[in-house]
Order: sequence, then C-alpha cells, then structure tokens
Amino acid sequence: MNNPSTSEVQSYKKLLFESVFPFWTLFRKEVHRFLKVINQTVGAPFVNSALYLLIFGVSLGKSIQDYHGYPYLAFLIPGLMMMSLLNNSFQNSSSSIVGSKFHGDLQDLKIVPLSSLQIVWAMSLGALVRGLVVATVTITVSEVFYLVSYGKFLIPSHPFMLLAFCVIGGLTFGTLGIFVGFISKTFEHLNAVGSFILLPLLYLGGVFFSISTLHPFWQKVSQINPLLYFINGVRYGFLGVSDIPVGSAFAVSVLSLILLQLCAMYSVRRGSFQRW
Amino acid sequence: MTNHQDMPYPLETEQLSKVYDNFHALKQVSLRMESGEIFGLLGPNGAGKTTLIGVLSNLVRPTSGKAKIFGSDVSLELKAQKKLVGLVPQELVNHGFFSVEEVLSYVMGYYGLKPDRNRIYYLLEKLGLIEHKKKKILQLSGGMKRRFLIAKALVHEPKLLLLDEPTAGVDIELRNTLWDFVREINKTEGVSVLLTTHYLEEAENLCKRVAIIDKGELKEIGPTKDLVKKLTQRRVEVTLRKAPEKRERPHFVEFVDNKYIFTIPNNMTVGELLQQCKIPIEDVLDLQIREGRLEDAFLAVLSGKE
Repeated sequence: MNNPSTSEVQSYKKLLFESVFPFWTLFRKEVHRFLKVINQTVGAPFVNSALYLLIFGVSLGKSIQDYHGYPYLAFLIPGLMMMSLLNNSFQNSSSSIVGSKFHGDLQDLKIVPLSSLQIVWAMSLGALVRGLVVATVTITVSEVFYLVSYGKFLIPSHPFMLLAFCVIGGLTFGTLGIFVGFISKTFEHLNAVGSFILLPLLYLGGVFFSISTLHPFWQKVSQINPLLYFINGVRYGFLGVSDIPVGSAFAVSVLSLILLQLCAMYSVRRGSFQRW
Repeated sequence: MTNHQDMPYPLETEQLSKVYDNFHALKQVSLRMESGEIFGLLGPNGAGKTTLIGVLSNLVRPTSGKAKIFGSDVSLELKAQKKLVGLVPQELVNHGFFSVEEVLSYVMGYYGLKPDRNRIYYLLEKLGLIEHKKKKILQLSGGMKRRFLIAKALVHEPKLLLLDEPTAGVDIELRNTLWDFVREINKTEGVSVLLTTHYLEEAENLCKRVAIIDKGELKEIGPTKDLVKKLTQRRVEVTLRKAPEKRERPHFVEFVDNKYIFTIPNNMTVGELLQQCKIPIEDVLDLQIREGRLEDAFLAVLSGKE
C-alpha cells in the first residue's frame, strides 16, 4: 500500500480542520456566552444552593430520618447538585436559541457551513459545560456545609458513575433545551415548559425526598418521571445507594439522551431560524 | 447550467415557487446572474424579493422549482457552497452580549477559518467601524448596524453577496459610501452581487442588469439600459420664438406658453420629431430632452403599461 503524499496529508488535515473548526467555534461561543453573564449563570445558582442547604439540609434536615445510614444533608447534596446541573444545562441551550431568535442572529447558524448534527452537539456540549460548572459550585458549597455539620467531607462512593450520570444528564438537558428552544414561538412557550413541566418533574424526581417514603401508588407514578432516574443515578454515584437500581437508572438516562437527540435533530432540520 | 466561460452561474433559479398557506410569494421565477456582475432585483414591498433571497440563503424552503448557487442546488445545503455566499439581511440583527470584533471572529470560525485580525480590521476600516470594534452590536446606531452586517457577510471572502435592502433608512452620504464599497469588492475581489433596493436611481447607476418582480412574478429581466430603452419614452420640450399655431401634432402631450412638450420613442431622434411636426429649426429657441429612467420603466411595469 502506498503512503499518502505530503500534499495529500496536508489537504486531509485542511479538510479535517475546516470540518471541526466550525463546530469548535460554536461550542466556544456557547461557553463564552454564559461566561459573559457569570453572575447570572453561576452566581445565582450558588446563592440558591446555599439557601437550599441551609434551610432544608441543615435546619429541617435534623428532624428527618436517616437514609440508609446517611444523614439527610448527604441525601440532599446529590439531588441538589443534579437539579442545578440539569436546570442550567437546559437554560443554557434554550436561552441561547430563544435569545438568538429574539436578536435575529439565529439565522447565522442556517447559512453557515454547520450541519444539524454539529449544531446539536456543539450546543449540548456548551450546555454541559455550564451544567458542570454550576454542579461543581454546588458541590463545593455543599461540602463546606457538610464539613461544618459533620466534621468531614462527603466522598463519592462511585466517582466514575457519578461523572457518567452528570455528563449524560447535562447532555440530555442541553439537548432538551435545543428542542424546546427551536419549537418555542414566544418567550412564554419556553417559560411554560420550564415552570409547568420541568420544575414539577424536578421537585417530584426525588431531589428532596426518597420515593420509598411515598404511598405505593405514588411510588409507581413517580417511576414514569425520567428525572427520578438521573437523580438517583447521581445519588448512587455519591452514596452507593439509591431508590432505583443503578442499571435501570443508567438505561433510562441513555435512552432519554438518544430520544432527545433525535427530537433536537428534527427541530434543527425542520424548525424555523427566522426572527420572532 | 454554465455561462459562456464554462463557469457555473453564481445564481440561477428555475420555475421557483413559494406558497404560504394560500399566498403565492413566488410564482415560477426563473432568472440567473452572470459571473462578476452586480444584479438588481427590484420590486415594490411584498413583491417577493426577500422570499427569493431567503430561498437562496436556505432560510426559506421553496414549494417547487430549483435554486442553484454556483451550480449546486441550495436544498442540498452543501458546506462548500455555503462558504461561497454572504448574506446581508434586510432586518437589523443584534448579537446579545458580543462585541463587533467578537462576532466577526466567530463568524470566520463558522466558515472554518481561523480568526484573521487583518481581514476583520480591513473591513471595519473600510466600513468606518474600526473605532467601534469593542462595542456591543446593541450599542451601534442603525447605520452602523447596516455596515456591520456588510462586514459580517464579507468576512469569509464570499464569491456571491446577497444584499437585501442594505441601505434602507440610511442617509445619502452613507449610502454612497456603501455603494462605493460594493463596487470596490466587486472589482477587486470578483464578488458577484445581488441587491434589492428601493432607490432606483442607485440601482440604475450600479447594476448592469436588473429584474423586476411584482406579486411574486418575474415581470422583466435584462440589461438596465435595454429595459429603460424598451419601457420608457424620451420627453422633449421645444420652446419656440413665437406662439405656434394650434394644431394636432404627433407625440404631443402638452402646450404651455411658447412651449410644446412631447414624449417620443427612444429610437426616434429630435430631428425626426421636428420634421414630423413641421417645426422649422429657426423657430426653435430652446430644446430640453429628458431621457427615460429606470424609475419610469419600473412604474411602467407595475402599472402594466409596458
């Protein structure tokens, strides 16, 4: 077999660069966008997490029974971290798209040489970065609270599993944000999804309580909430125990990511890039 | 299809139609641009100009027909083809938190180019925006935003520039600067330009060929001078030394004091007019001729009097 000539290698490299660089640029822009308003995107979740930990974890937590031998604060920390991660991942991509629709620059993405797949992945990775930054801030605050309350840090039992659920969760909700952003026709549509669908699912997904405390009927109902699987996956990563078997949690999380990737691809291909 | 130099046409449409619900925005429009030309797409508001540009830039999906850019169907959304096109949209665009320089760097990146400060600063300098490079787009005035959009459309060195009313709401001095710049890039970078504008005098000066569309239908297309010649008449004002006898004369329009006003076909000379009207040249005190303009041709097409 002949070795490729220098010019062939160079033209291959050029082609690769021209394909990858647009994707990298969009990803960088998505990250740059949230860093431009870091007070709003990272500062606000920091305050929120601190308040949740203070009120629920420290004050009320003392009167709540232990969870598999862990204090309530330890139960709360993984859920709170995942709630912040999912929320912020969703907000990053959805607000980027909706904001661009409002400003009129979304059509740039349609006329430049970026494929639908590149748009979906660059935006969902940008969303994941914001989610991970906020999750890291939440964990840092939480560890301080835990250290003050119990004199030690809460060390994750399965760090790789924890990371896997964080990455899948961030990508899934970043992708969901793309889908919702493209199908929204007004700011109200976007807010409605956040307030009437996501928020209830998050709160009922086991962030603040174990579903084992619910009536068996409501336990069954809770199991159709996909967020329960993400949150319990992360809780397993932290504590080594959860309400849902980790295999089921992993399977549902991956399936959710695949399904939403398909929805997001459809919305990018068929949705409108025109200004509102 | 290719042009005479075996180069694909920068732009070509075949029986292109777009229907929104029951509204026909484009009705079987077929036209093409020659390589390196500045081509004017003219029409009243709602004629379908922006829809056509939307189809050419992939923002609007046509109902039927084909649109090609440099020989490739735009519906294929080929990356190589997208790199050849720059779009200046009609509506002003903002870019949230980003500055002029940042947006241009990102746009270069979208086209697979490393941000090139020389190119960015060259365009900003040419368009009088260099002092505003650190400003957010929201902080620019309307005229600056128009110029910024032109810089944005040119930053990746396209070969076809689509200008959708780039001078709407812009003062005359700035309009002239913009058109000078369009001429310059057409000449120096070989960029073919499709423009829509409501300033017909400017289109007449700038475009070698124009197309006139109305209610989604292509009414006329051809060299600007030929269209003007075909669709307009010359207006001739003949002032006589003494009041003429009143009688029927060919091409006569109006009689004021000692002055006859005639409209004559473009291929008719003033000598022939005077001869036909039996006006001796020694009776003529003054002669004024106003050639037909693109605006007259445009109005003739719209009123159906062509």
